[in-house]
This record gives sequence, structure tokens and C-alpha cells, in this order.
Amino acid sequence: MKKEIISANGLTKVYHRGSEKIFALKDASFEIAEGEYVAIVGPSGSGKTTLLNLLGCLDTPTRGSLRLNGAETSGLQEKDLVKLRRENIGFVFQQFFLLPTLTVRENIALPLLFSKKNDCKDKVDEILEQVGLEARAEHLPSQLSGGEMQRVAIGRALVNEPKIILADEPTGNLDSATARKIYELFQYLNDRGLTMIVVTHNVELAKTAHKVIHLRDGEIAQEASSHSLSRKTRR
Amino acid sequence: MNFVTLAIKNLLRRRGRTILTILGVAIAIAVLFSLLSFNSGYEKQLSGELNSMGIHMLAVPKGCPYEAASLIIHGGVIPKYMSNSDAEEIKKVDGVEIASPMLLHQFYKDGRPHIVYGVVMADMLRLKPYWKVEGRLFSDTEDSVIVIGRNLAEEEMAKEEKLSVGDVLPFGPYKIPFTVVGILERTGTQEDEFHFLPLPVAQRIFEKPDQITAVGIRVGNVSRISEVASRLEQIPDVQVVTMTQVMGTIMNLVGSARTLIISVIIVAIIISAVGIINTLLMSVNERTREFGMMKAIGASGLDIGKLVLIETLFITVMGGVIGLLLSTLGSSLIEGFVKGIIPYSPGGKLMTPEPGLVGLCLLFSIIIGFVCGIYPAIKSSRLTPMEAIRSNLE
Repeated sequence: MKKEIISANGLTKVYHRGSEKIFALKDASFEIAEGEYVAIVGPSGSGKTTLLNLLGCLDTPTRGSLRLNGAETSGLQEKDLVKLRRENIGFVFQQFFLLPTLTVRENIALPLLFSKKNDCKDKVDEILEQVGLEARAEHLPSQLSGGEMQRVAIGRALVNEPKIILADEPTGNLDSATARKIYELFQYLNDRGLTMIVVTHNVELAKTAHKVIHLRDGEIAQEASSHSLSRKTRR
Repeated sequence: MNFVTLAIKNLLRRRGRTILTILGVAIAIAVLFSLLSFNSGYEKQLSGELNSMGIHMLAVPKGCPYEAASLIIHGGVIPKYMSNSDAEEIKKVDGVEIASPMLLHQFYKDGRPHIVYGVVMADMLRLKPYWKVEGRLFSDTEDSVIVIGRNLAEEEMAKEEKLSVGDVLPFGPYKIPFTVVGILERTGTQEDEFHFLPLPVAQRIFEKPDQITAVGIRVGNVSRISEVASRLEQIPDVQVVTMTQVMGTIMNLVGSARTLIISVIIVAIIISAVGIINTLLMSVNERTREFGMMKAIGASGLDIGKLVLIETLFITVMGGVIGLLLSTLGSSLIEGFVKGIIPYSPGGKLMTPEPGLVGLCLLFSIIIGFVCGIYPAIKSSRLTPMEAIRSNLE
């Protein structure tokens, strides 16, 4: 049986708008095993990104607890959360967030600067090869296509050798052909043992996942295998 | 890649804004460095000039003694005179080693004032043994001879070609021909601009028989200066000013001009600092999501704050270095401007860049960097990754 890498128990996030309470996420409980590929789906405003941010320790829950790779995250100081993020999580964003004056190689190597592992040229070369950008290593983001930029962002997420990749709408800004190449890359990374958690509207991408978490109005409406999602989609 | 490289690459994204901010700092540092160099050079030159006179005090006609003494050193003329007999009295006072009488006269040529000193050359040589001359000095019994300062010889008297030893010069109100017997080697003081005549000759051609403007006095024992000064003040119509008092008077005279300049500098530095803070805050606000991304990929708040602070320090240190270069390159222009607005300035170059001042100005630019960068750095470091990433997205 595979080791559990994420365990969420009653995760709740409440935002305040004036005196009004908005439940972005209500009592979400689930577990994710190491090496699992999970898609989080649901309509806009259903709490997908909120959940992803809580899982990535970018935000703290109002209630509930989260265990990440065996460590309880609630009550941790910011510096401990930073360490936890560095060691366990790689982020991929819809908007890529590449620094325009850094080359592909430098953008990929950026997390190494923050984790004080500067002398890792071989590691960056290996990542460039994995994401298929060896020939573009010295190019600037402005010289790349959307798909290439997302590959750089994926490379950047991989460079610290995380255990989990969290991706927020990674194909949202890409055409379908390019998006398909990104799914293939995700699949390849998952095959190599990485835990993938992807927030998406894209049914094709969700189909490649082992497990799909459906959110509606901040609550988990359904937690199912992607096989059942395929059947539902066909219906 | 390190934080400095990353900071520089970030600044290059907004080249125009970065260059303008650096320029703002450069101007503030250039003005600061110019003033400090000028101030230090001014006091040094003034003190050197007073020391080069070889006298400990000046006897001047009663009236406004400090200002009179300042004017005499500068080469100005006061409308009051003592007599030859006063000089003789002064020589007899116990403790006086040398008493050199002098008559000052001023005339205008090409709209510029020229200063003539009537002196007793034997006394002058005792006061200024370092004087070197091309040609020779005159004796007190000679007539129609003149010695002139080096600058005067090169620039003023002959615009086309410089004046040489042996040239004859129509001089004085009646344009009497005078032979240039000597040209002083450059002293770096006001003397480079003066004409020197034998005292009796100056008294005759300027129609001031028996009159002198001041007596330069050197005492045998410097610890007795005040004692000798009180004895000299007992001579009717004579007041004594020591060189220390003259220095104090001149420094007071220029004090108000310095206050004005310092005020301008403070305003320039404040404007520059506000400009830097504004630029940085704009940059922090524009890069909120970028900082959020950095935090998501492993940067701590400290890393983000450090990055912003390095960017600020880069701007201010670059501004400091450029400011120092600007100030050094434009020193003669700045010196000419400041000399024009202060009431007394010694001869020679007043702005001399000293390593200590260079270090001080660079340190100041680093301090400006810290002061201006600390708030934007704290602001950016405190952004939570979530609020940063979500900004402008919803």
C-alpha cells in the first residue's frame, strides 16, 4: 500500500466581506497517496484554487488540519512553512509568472537561489532535457511560445526535486494541441513517481488523473476515479 | 545566479525609470560632494593663504578692523590710512620682530579690479622667504620698476601674449612707463594676481604721500601675540587684528552663503529620497504577483526583502559613484559658481577630492539606500503568497 502524502481533515476557509462570511471551502476531508495523480474540478468559484493554495501552504485554513508528508502544518511559523514548501512542493501557475529578463535556464534555476543550492548546473541541464527545452536554454521568455513558457514553469517547479506538483489551471492559457503536450509531460512526471495535483476545467486533463475531486460551492461533491468521470462525461 | 545578478536584471526591466532614479541620486551626491570638497578646500586654502602671509597680525587704521584685515588679505582697499610714523612706532614695540608697512591701491582695467601693493621689499622677503622670482625683485630705492604675480603676467596684462621680464608697462593714473623686473613664481594664493611696487613709488604715483594702509607684523615669540597686540593698540589710530581673528571673520562672512548651499543640498537629498521611495513602492506594487510566485517557489519574506534592498542599494551606490564622477569632472564649473556667490574666496584650487570625502559620500549613498529601501523591502516581504498571487487576477 502506498504511503499517504497529504491528509486533509475538515479543511475550511472563510473569507469576510464586510459582515458577510463567505465559505470558500467547507469541511474538505480526503487523502492523497504518494505518486497519485489527482485532478480537482468544479465550476468557477467552487473553491478549487482555495483548496490548492491550502495544500501548497500558501494560505492557512480557518479550521481543520492538513498533514503534508507526515508533518502537521497547522500552527507552523512562516519560516517553517517556507521550508516545507521548498522541500515538498513545486508550483505551476496558469500565468506562468516567468521573469522576463531571465533566460529559460535562469528561470528554471530561480528556486535554487532561494534554497541556497546555487551550484546545480547539472540539475538544471537534466530538467531542461526532461521538459524538452535544451535548445531554448539561453532564450528569454519573450522568445518562447505559450507551451514553451509553461514547460519552463514546470521545469522551475521540478528543480528543487519536490514530492508534489501543484498546478493551477496549467493549460488554461494554451491551445488544445499544446495543452495535450502538457498533459503528456504531467503523465511522464507522474510515471516517475511524482504526486500530481492539478486544478483544471479541462475534462481531457482530468481524465488522465487517478482520482478526481469534484468541488461545488466550497464542498467536496464527489471524490471518484477518473474512470467514473469518463462515464459521466459520456452520458 | 545570485541575488545581486537577479536585482540588476530586475532593474533592467525598467531601464528608463532606473536611469532617472540613479540620476536623481547622482545629482544629490554630486552637490553634497562638491560642498564638502569646497568646504574642506576653502578652510585649507584660507588657512594656507593666511599662513603664507608670514605674519601673525595686521595693524590697520581704527574703524572696522576685522573686515579691514579681511579686505587687505583679499586685496581690497579701505578708505582709511595710517602714516609712516605709525609704522615706525610699531617697529619699536617690544616683541615685534618684523613690521612691514604696505599701501594698497586698486584700479580697474577691462572692467576687472587690479590690486597694487606698495611694499618694502626687504621686509617682504623676511616675511616670505619662499618667494621665487623670474628676473629679480626690486630694492627700496629704485623707481619705475614693478614685480607682478604669475597669473597676472600670463592672463591679465597681455591677452594675446604673456608679459615678460624686461617689458615696459604704462602704469598708474598718469601711465608712467614701468619696467617689469620680475615675475613671481606661482604661489597659489592671491599674490599671483597682484602688482608690487616699492612703497615710496606707490605713495607718489597714487598721491598718498606718507600714507600706508596696513602693517604686517610678525612677533618673535608666538606665545606673546596677545601681549604684543595689547601694546600695539596703545598707539593712537591703530587697531590690531590677529590672523586667527581674520580667519574667524572670513568664515563668518561666508557662513550665510554656506547655510544657503547646505539648505539647497538638504532639499535636493530629500527630493531624491522621496523619488527613490516612490519608484521602489511603484515597483513593489507592480511586482506583487511576481513576489507571490517567488514565495510559492521557495523564497522567504527575508529573501524578497533582501532583493528589494539590494535593488535600492544598487541604485543609490551607482548614483553615488556617478555623482562623484560628475562632481569631479565639473569641479571647476562648480567652483567658479560658488566663488561667485560667497563674499571672500582664497586663491588656488578650492575643490580637491579627498579619499575621506569620497568614502563619506559613498557611505551616505549607502545610508540613503537603506533608509529608502527599508519600507518597500518590509512591505514586499510581508506580502502573503496568496494575496500576492491573487492581486489583479480577480
